[in-house]
Amino acid sequence: MSRVSFLLWLAVMASALYLVRTQYESRSLTTEIDRATNEARRLETENDRLDVERRAQATPLRVEKLAREQLHMRTITPAITQYATVGGAAAPASAEVHP
Amino acid sequence: MSHRSVQYTSSPLLASKTPIWRSQFIVAVIAAGFLGLVARAAYVQVIDNAFFKRQGTVRFVRTLDLPANRGRILDRNGNILASSVPVPSIWANPEDIERDPVKLKALAKLLGMTSAELDKKLQDEDKIFVWLKRQVDESVAKDIADLKIKGVYDRKEYKRIYPEGESVAHVVGFTNVENLGQEGVELTFNKDLGGKAGSRRVIKDRFGHVVEDIGEMVPPLDGQDLQLSIDSKVQYFAYEKIKESVIANKAAAGSVVVLDVKTGEVLALVNYPSYSPGKRGNLSGAQLRNRALTDTFEPGSTMKPLVVGLALEKGIVKPETMIQTAPGKLQMGTATITDSHPHGLLSVNEVIQKSSNVGTVKIAMQMQPHDMWEIFTQMGLGQKPQVPFPGAVSGKVRAYKTWRPIEQATMSYGYGLSASLFQLAQAYTVFAHDGEMIPMSLVKTNQSQVTGARVFSSEHAAAMRHMLHMVTIPGGTAPKAQTMGYSVGGKTGTAHKVEGKGYASKKYRGFFVGIAPIDNPRIVVAVMVDEPTNGAYFGGDVAAPVFSQTVQQTLRMMGVQPDMAVKPQVVTQVEKESF
Repeated sequence: MSRVSFLLWLAVMASALYLVRTQYESRSLTTEIDRATNEARRLETENDRLDVERRAQATPLRVEKLAREQLHMRTITPAITQYATVGGAAAPASAEVHP
Repeated sequence: MSHRSVQYTSSPLLASKTPIWRSQFIVAVIAAGFLGLVARAAYVQVIDNAFFKRQGTVRFVRTLDLPANRGRILDRNGNILASSVPVPSIWANPEDIERDPVKLKALAKLLGMTSAELDKKLQDEDKIFVWLKRQVDESVAKDIADLKIKGVYDRKEYKRIYPEGESVAHVVGFTNVENLGQEGVELTFNKDLGGKAGSRRVIKDRFGHVVEDIGEMVPPLDGQDLQLSIDSKVQYFAYEKIKESVIANKAAAGSVVVLDVKTGEVLALVNYPSYSPGKRGNLSGAQLRNRALTDTFEPGSTMKPLVVGLALEKGIVKPETMIQTAPGKLQMGTATITDSHPHGLLSVNEVIQKSSNVGTVKIAMQMQPHDMWEIFTQMGLGQKPQVPFPGAVSGKVRAYKTWRPIEQATMSYGYGLSASLFQLAQAYTVFAHDGEMIPMSLVKTNQSQVTGARVFSSEHAAAMRHMLHMVTIPGGTAPKAQTMGYSVGGKTGTAHKVEGKGYASKKYRGFFVGIAPIDNPRIVVAVMVDEPTNGAYFGGDVAAPVFSQTVQQTLRMMGVQPDMAVKPQVVTQVEKESF
């Protein structure tokens, strides 16, 4: 009887120690997940921030200013545009005449 | 007396006769002590454990807020008009701040305030939290952190960034420091954009790491992105053009509305003067006003096509019907209606082309007030526009039962009622959309064609477009509305501004509402220039050129092929020069 009790006592002790270990592991994994989630969120907001910054660099205001001042471009008019039709033939602006 | 005694030892030195009750007493005391411990343990563990549980919780359980991201505002092509980015905000704990005068002076300088202002914020030592400055630049926060002042901290907050700046300011609006919409779309769609913050309860260890989740997590609900119908390129271009016109004409303000007539989407809605939503230091009311929607004025001659359209619909006149407008005057009771230039015999087409008041009144007086009122209402006048905008006004069209004949007459050429520029643009979509009134939308609809309520027959809408086209050809009032490559049509308007109870003699509003291309309309553009003071003030002079340029660029960006002959200036081949 006492031998059985002793074995059971050993089993209980082993299980208790194992529980402690499992809990410890679970907690460190939770910490890891939390850290990773925070990192993901940080990268997401960083991505948003960079998106906005990229857009700020490509606003029509800035594009037009650079095109005019640095590249000496001018606004397009129908007079200097060739319109291509779906068939593939290039149609000049004067192809269709309004009555 | 006999005493019971115990002999504890045989040593004579220790041989003392102790009374038995003493040992019993000791045993009892110790037993009582243990009982006390058991009772206490039972009390702590079973009876009153809530208090201790709470104390334990306070020491290691934390509730974390999970902030929701505010949704972005995008234009129709997915370009960002507004987005939230995290920025540092500086706060301090006045209770335990390190009060080193040198460091505090440096801090005040970095925060852009005087030392006295900073001292005032920090003077209440009972407080444990005070904002020093919210939403500072990343570099400033870093410099402050480098000062290493005890009791000064930073915290991440979301700040709204508006990359497009002034040109879309009135449409997008702005949020306050708490991320709540205050103006424009930010205010109207605040609920959808805002989202809902979540929370989670966790156990933290002594390093501050989260080690366990307890209870259920409430996930944050991020705000929805909102895609507007606005095209940021059209918007920018229209803004630049109205700005140029306002400056050139020394005007007080100007507005442009561009509508897609196939889908009812608002492609651009601009006002000048504007403001930069990111820097709202010294804003004036004039800059903040979304004039295209909030300012109403008497629409003047732009009302004439509505009246003539109704006359065609009722079979009262035909486009070729001749009307005598000589001698350029018409007496109605005590009032005289005059044309700025007398014209003589005009066809209905020419009444619109030359913008004859007398001709319009002669047509209008053959109609019932009820019919006129109904057509105005059907075309959106006196009604709040469906675009959900803070402060959008409905203008004024009085009930027809109260109209006196002279009022019916003046209303036919646009006096005695009021409308906003947006409403005028909306009314003209009826001519452009084949006689149908379609719903307007500020949000991208992803539809290629919508149907609306029929106001005019298709045939009469086409006849009206032809008249509007005549306005823009030589002989009309607005040849400056013409644009290279595209046929246009529209109507000018010039109104005296109302001041107090009467009309201001030298204050005008010039406007132009038009359609392009005229045979297969794609857009309606309405332009208004308020109080031009540089000589020209007619709508045909101050507003029509802005219309012309805006139409040209908008149709080009929409990929609409020109429908009019253009003398090509394309250099296709260059002959080699010979020596």
